[in-house]
Amino acid sequence: MPKSNLAIVGNSRLAQDLAAACKEKNLEAAFSANAADLEPTTPLVIETCAGDRDRKKALLQKLDDFLPANAVIVSSCLGFGVTELASWIKKPERLIGFATFYPLKDRKVVELARGLRTSESTARSAAEIFKSLGKETVLVKDTAGLTFPRILSLIINEAARALEEGVASAEEIDVAMRLGVNYPQGPLKWADQIGLDEVLAVLEGLLGETGDDRYRPAPLLKRLVTAGFLGETSGRGFYSYNETQVKP
Amino acid sequence: MANKTEKIAVLGAGTMGAGIAQVAAQAGFPTLLYDIKQEFIDAGMGKIKAFLAGSRERGKLSAEQEKEILDRFQLTTSLDDCKGCALVIEAAPEKLELKRDIFRQLDAVCGVETLLASNTSSFNVTAIAASTQHPERVLGLHFFNPPPLMALVEVIQGDRTSSATIEKATALMKAIGKTPARAKDTAGFIVNRIARPFYNEALRILGDGDASVENIDKVMKEAGNFRMGPFELMDLIGNDINFAATESLYRSFFEDPRFRPSPIQQRMVLGGNLGRKTGRGFYVYAKK
Repeated sequence: MPKSNLAIVGNSRLAQDLAAACKEKNLEAAFSANAADLEPTTPLVIETCAGDRDRKKALLQKLDDFLPANAVIVSSCLGFGVTELASWIKKPERLIGFATFYPLKDRKVVELARGLRTSESTARSAAEIFKSLGKETVLVKDTAGLTFPRILSLIINEAARALEEGVASAEEIDVAMRLGVNYPQGPLKWADQIGLDEVLAVLEGLLGETGDDRYRPAPLLKRLVTAGFLGETSGRGFYSYNETQVKP
Repeated sequence: MANKTEKIAVLGAGTMGAGIAQVAAQAGFPTLLYDIKQEFIDAGMGKIKAFLAGSRERGKLSAEQEKEILDRFQLTTSLDDCKGCALVIEAAPEKLELKRDIFRQLDAVCGVETLLASNTSSFNVTAIAASTQHPERVLGLHFFNPPPLMALVEVIQGDRTSSATIEKATALMKAIGKTPARAKDTAGFIVNRIARPFYNEALRILGDGDASVENIDKVMKEAGNFRMGPFELMDLIGNDINFAATESLYRSFFEDPRFRPSPIQQRMVLGGNLGRKTGRGFYVYAKK
């Protein structure tokens, strides 16, 4: 097995997408769902777990113990602030946050954020790795979900509330947002593509960080995630993708 | 476009009213354009004529078609002329008492088969319909600016609007070439409500010092694939208009923090920094 300069850790659609992007750019990258089979010399890991606190904490602590002292961890900060993520490990200076949504091909820019303890060289390494994947990076301040995932998740949340309240059907909500304000996709279809668990992670992360009610997730969104209806990958989210399944 | 027989009336010859009337006439409907003063009608028709002349110059319309479209217009300052119309679309200023008064008069003039629609974006259709004897034929038809270019119309069912009214209005909107999206009579309907976080959360992120105007716009365009960034768009819409829309939703939802307006945008409005139209908003624009 060739020695990898990079590893992608996680099992989300975005993790698979990152691994595919590495392959496309001829970057030797290991891909692992739970960091079990990584080489202990890996200098940079992109960790993509969004919202499950216990799982993410265990994963980051495992990486921190296992990787060389100077290795960098680029961790998804969809559901947690970067400073908080870094506080879970012994070497917080090596962790930086990134936040984006599947699919990667639609993202010319990826956002990064430093925690209060993140080092300058960690930030440089993270920017370089995304550059080699063909992505420009923009550095913003540390909040759960950063900018694009945060704003889009709130739009999706409002669409979920409107759907739940019976204001309009999912189809009519999506067509209205595409034609009324030229959105690239209807928010509910978009959410099904991203994965409802990732969207919920952003909202719960912001609610946890700020305590502000404006981030309270729509009950329908929570219920769908609880039921395992995460969108396209599970055959059902706001829409049904399997004809044999009953529509909501 | 073949001539159609059902007549459509549009009340108000401002930007929205003139635009809606143009859409109806272009789709082949005999179109009645009403306003309270002839000079308002002349101004509205001036805009319609300029738009059509532009289309002709770009080769999208023949001179003959242009004439046919203009010939479909009937102009009036009397609401009585709405009698016999299949559909009346009110696009008067956003004042509830004014709209209620217009609908009260229309209700008396028009037979029950005439659909009475309001283009309101900030009032309940139910509240407007309450001034009539036949609320079952009253609905909302919310067009987007500019109506000739924006495909969407929200078709709003008030608490007492009949399903038959909604079906008939939906069919008419398709007949004038629009894409209808049906919604219940709730604050902001679909678009104005669900689009709110695009502006409001961007303002929150800016206010908290988490990212700059330029970076937020860049990320929303180049990561999110939105056609414009939120600050560019607020400057285009006008910060006064955008702020008023947010404030109206905030009040309609009884101060739900999801819709809390931004002090930054309020300051821009108070300072006269309304966006493109004043040469300064979140960005500075070169004077024309």
